[in-house]
Amino acid sequence: MTTTSIADPMSPATTTIPVGPLHVALEEPMYFRIDISGERVAHVGINAGHVHRGIEYLATKRTLIQNVVLTERICSLCSNSHPEAFAMAAEEIGGIEVPERGKYLRVIAAEVKRVASHLFNVAILAHLVGYDALFMHVMQVREIAQDLKEGVFGNRMDLGAICIGGARYDLDEETTALLRSSLDKLEPEIAEIEKTYRTNGSILRRTRDVGVLANSDAIACGVVGPVARASGVDYDVRREAPYHVYDRMPVEVKTRQDGDVWSRAMIRLHEARNAISIIRRCLDTLPTGPVNVGEKPDVPAGRAVARSEAPRGELIYFLKTGDSEQPERLKWRVPSFMNWDALTFMMRDAKVADIAIIVNSIDPCVSCTER
Amino acid sequence: MNFLALFARNLTKGPYTEPFPFAPAPTAKRFRGKIEFDAETCEGCRLCERVCPAGAIRMTRTAEGMTFDCWHDSCVFCGNCEFHCPTKSIHQTADWHLAHTQDQKFLMVEHALIPNQICAECGKEALATAPATRTVTPPLSPTETQHLKALCPKCRAKFIRARKAAA
Repeated sequence: MTTTSIADPMSPATTTIPVGPLHVALEEPMYFRIDISGERVAHVGINAGHVHRGIEYLATKRTLIQNVVLTERICSLCSNSHPEAFAMAAEEIGGIEVPERGKYLRVIAAEVKRVASHLFNVAILAHLVGYDALFMHVMQVREIAQDLKEGVFGNRMDLGAICIGGARYDLDEETTALLRSSLDKLEPEIAEIEKTYRTNGSILRRTRDVGVLANSDAIACGVVGPVARASGVDYDVRREAPYHVYDRMPVEVKTRQDGDVWSRAMIRLHEARNAISIIRRCLDTLPTGPVNVGEKPDVPAGRAVARSEAPRGELIYFLKTGDSEQPERLKWRVPSFMNWDALTFMMRDAKVADIAIIVNSIDPCVSCTER
Repeated sequence: MNFLALFARNLTKGPYTEPFPFAPAPTAKRFRGKIEFDAETCEGCRLCERVCPAGAIRMTRTAEGMTFDCWHDSCVFCGNCEFHCPTKSIHQTADWHLAHTQDQKFLMVEHALIPNQICAECGKEALATAPATRTVTPPLSPTETQHLKALCPKCRAKFIRARKAAA
């Protein structure tokens, strides 16, 4: 047999295998057509569109108030970031100033979601590595965050924390105590998990130098969120364009230079811990006053762009309103859209067995991306 | 992480899962579950119907009055109706027991009727909704509210105007 370049997809030595569309990493459909040469990936073709539900069109048939709920249900893991950015765009058009307490409450909701989302992704990584005892443990720790969400917001995933003009929930003594005690339980557990991921041989062997995204490729692909920060791109919307009260929060933007799967996991764990300090700061400095501007704020015709830092990265919303109650156009660009293009770089020459680990490392949110 | 220590901890703590259905599952007080509607305090503004993103709420004029229906099989439990309801006549209970068999699917409805009544002043038939009194100054006394409730919308407006003129 003659030796052929492994990077050539047309070479006769390559075989094409389908990965997906079901159960690549998470239980979300994404289809990869992968040409392999021996045990190595030679070429990656990404096929999207399996969960297109037409939500952008649907949004133009719903009123702004209904869309707060609709956008929350685009995706479960970043379910707070969508209505948050949507409400920010509507407030921009209407010139609505969110009351101070409402801003703090929005930050608390966003950071609680960030903790749960990052823990989920890191847990799935352990599962894909084959370390299911660790997977179970991280999911159990995440359960503390889930119980906290149920206790404070009334639901494990869809918080319903946002309304146009402020926050929809308020904290009383009981829920503040629940928040604090849950954070006290979470913090040492996450620190312990972080230590495990830093030192455990099984994790390190499968994640170090796997799925490397070089800094130049990261910039070329325009990746965002933990994926960008793990490749040395120092960018976080909470710091670059502070919204709500993030300018007063201890937001630590940590970057790593290696750009491998492990770095992305470590960035997520660090952010989960940082989110806890942010929530604590919010609780310590929470002002009194109204949480929102009232029942039905007026949003005139206009257009606006808003962005927020979702757990997966920068989320951008464009809203165009007309004279009716329904928006004329609502469009969003989700972080996974930028990140999944980088998969072709990450999977270059990767082992077939590492494909699922690499896909999971961008924390793909297919339901957001394909809406 | 020392998994032996974790193992010992988990062994002494026992299962993390709830023993449901053999014992009641603990539910948070703020849990957003089944919708409950109180026809007594409803003003009939139909805002809940308009803000419901799932179209689960329907209010319909019938010969007997106005019916309220919330279809729990369509409801997404977002709580928009409760948040926007001016009188909080609609609220989410912590009840999440909604599992049902296929033949029950059209029965998972919160149904109520705001009946018609004969106006105590003019004798015309009108809905017996709760009077919208939040913006009235000075606030109405309970007896005044009771009296207002027995009137039709026109006579209610007349009463409020007369009260304002007297004040």
